[in-house]
Amino acid sequence: MNAPIRYDEEHALLRSEARRWLEERFPIARVRALAESDTGEDPADWKELAALGWLGLCVPEKFGGAGLGAVHLSVLMEETGRRLLPCPLLASTLAALALAQSGSESQREQWLRPLVAGELRVALATATEAVWGGERADAFVARLGDRFALVPARAAGARVEREVVLDRTRRSARLTLDGVEPESGAFLPASAQEVLTRLTPWACVALAAEMAGGADALLALTSAYAATREQFGKPIGSFQAVKHPLVNVLIGVEGLRSLVYAAATALDAGDPDAETLARMAKAKACDVYVFAASRAVQLHGGFGFTLDCDAHLYLKRAQTTRPAFGDAMHQRRWLAEKLLGPAP
Amino acid sequence: MTARADEHESLRAEVREWIGRNHPGDPGWKLPQSALEVADDRQFGWLRDWQRKLYDAGWVGSEWPSEYGGGGKPRGTQRIVDQELARGRAPFLLNLVGLSWAGPVILRYGTEAQKRRFIRPLLRCDEIWCQGFSEPGAGSDLASLRTRAVRAGSDWLIDGHKVWTTLGRYADWCILLARTDESAVKHAGISYFLAPMKVAGVEVQPLVKMTGEGGFNQVIWSDARIPGDALIGREGQGWEIAMATLQFERGAAEGSAGGQFVGGPGEQVADLARLARSFERDGRPALADPVVRDRLTQFWIEETALRANAARARVPGLVADRPEALPLQSKLASSEHGQALADFACELEGAGAALWIGDPNAPANAEWQRSYLNSFATTIAGGTSEILRNILGERVLGLPKTR
Repeated sequence: MNAPIRYDEEHALLRSEARRWLEERFPIARVRALAESDTGEDPADWKELAALGWLGLCVPEKFGGAGLGAVHLSVLMEETGRRLLPCPLLASTLAALALAQSGSESQREQWLRPLVAGELRVALATATEAVWGGERADAFVARLGDRFALVPARAAGARVEREVVLDRTRRSARLTLDGVEPESGAFLPASAQEVLTRLTPWACVALAAEMAGGADALLALTSAYAATREQFGKPIGSFQAVKHPLVNVLIGVEGLRSLVYAAATALDAGDPDAETLARMAKAKACDVYVFAASRAVQLHGGFGFTLDCDAHLYLKRAQTTRPAFGDAMHQRRWLAEKLLGPAP
Repeated sequence: MTARADEHESLRAEVREWIGRNHPGDPGWKLPQSALEVADDRQFGWLRDWQRKLYDAGWVGSEWPSEYGGGGKPRGTQRIVDQELARGRAPFLLNLVGLSWAGPVILRYGTEAQKRRFIRPLLRCDEIWCQGFSEPGAGSDLASLRTRAVRAGSDWLIDGHKVWTTLGRYADWCILLARTDESAVKHAGISYFLAPMKVAGVEVQPLVKMTGEGGFNQVIWSDARIPGDALIGREGQGWEIAMATLQFERGAAEGSAGGQFVGGPGEQVADLARLARSFERDGRPALADPVVRDRLTQFWIEETALRANAARARVPGLVADRPEALPLQSKLASSEHGQALADFACELEGAGAALWIGDPNAPANAEWQRSYLNSFATTIAGGTSEILRNILGERVLGLPKTR
């Protein structure tokens, strides 16, 4: 795991483009307004994401996508995580990845083009994870027993109910499939286990990248506050009791970003260590993001406890992203088997 | 594979093969764990011979300019050599202060004559270097140092008290900070010297570490006369050069002549896993304990993250937001990781960890306990973890100064 990290001008270009666009389009006031809105999102944003080509970032070119890899995906996720993007881009990306990796040729032809164009919204329903973006999805890549199938939201027996969520910048739905019987062509050819085995490292890297972006944004938010907020006649950031925990957050974020890009490089290279690195990144992301968010609330003091302070928006995002595709404990149990052999 | 990657792989193979043939093996008596506790002449001679052999083979200072005694090889060479030395579990390089701090400083700030005079003997371990920075009253607040240098004709007279002097007993030369202008404000009155140690008025007294080992010292300078050309840089430029030295010491600036591989990531967790295989907890192998497994995995993740940091530090586009963060945190993060890991190893050893070097039942002759106690050198020397957190908070996060 000493391989160089791949990152070139193309990646840097995507980052600066994404950062600029997201900053302009999603100032925190708008994120808050959308979080308070009924559906949590604005359909105009989805059209823009399609126009930017981001819905198909990792979809092969022959199906209308950009055909880019995990490093590009990490860049985009890191930047969206910074702004708490209130659109189910990650949900759509996971569904697209599952289809691109494990769908039949005809399934990919039929579903990926409209997904990439933003005409058809698809969400992933693994039966154990939250179904992000489920309420407004047109279809689901949904687990039914030991297979995944493409299930239209309006299929007979499919019921989609809005969930009441902690993090209102990321909405989810409860999908109930009662007596839904997809035709045989709707089933992904691989077993559910195979689908998840292919998808999990990518999902871990995408999630860890998004979490790294959020933690990094918190570091900037809290540092700026500590540099200006005064008590005892001095900026609180001059006190070591405030400064040192912020540096601990910094060290965590730096290590996390390194793991994310090492894992993404390994995924793109087909490196056999890729899944190990991806799971390490996700494990670290859970710890670092929650720590960064808890320090943000704490170091904002009395203001940090209020709805007016932005810290809680990230804290809720951190808490609710943690379980996706396995929290730190889950990842470490998997990693322990890899390092130490099977648990007795 | 690119041509460059090809070259790297063939270099790696060459170094590995050389180490395989030339590794001096176990001498059959206790070796020090680092340059900090070289305590007797037998250890000293054995380690000096090893560095000399490596130098003669071209593996020390391999990237340094050949006109001064370096190898003149392309950038990236030394890193591969050091990685292979770590992988091959080769003994450390004795002349630590010379190779990693004094040498890079002389190459950056020294005159042509100083470079020609000092570099080759330092690389070949013909002359040993020590560091005269800290004083009893000037630790973290280094700029409050009180050692004085006063002009005496064309010479300087040095008067003061230095502590934490690794290799002081064996040193021929010292990178020495002394105040040359009492009237200037704190930092501005300090100058930097390449001072001879084997002169009248220099007394080296051993200090004993909490491991019971000697090897580091205090040095009393009593009107010791050193030549006028011992000054490096300008009079009053000492603080700037001292800060550059600390950047080298913390691994925040590249330029070491080699040997910077103690505790290379990856080796330590593997050692820890081996340890967990050989110890029992509550009647079963420690490795079967889910809590032990989880802790070990956390160390593995941290170690991998530290290594990934090193890889990312070489990618300008991925450090653009905070270029100073990775170099400034590198010593802090790796020393605290290493310390926590050694502590966990002692915990794994259970009651055995109460036995010290010399007891036949001490696990691995108490190597882990010794490592743990010695690890405090890494979290204190070269800027304590607390000072480094201040520096990171101020320089990287933009927080106001702590006063």
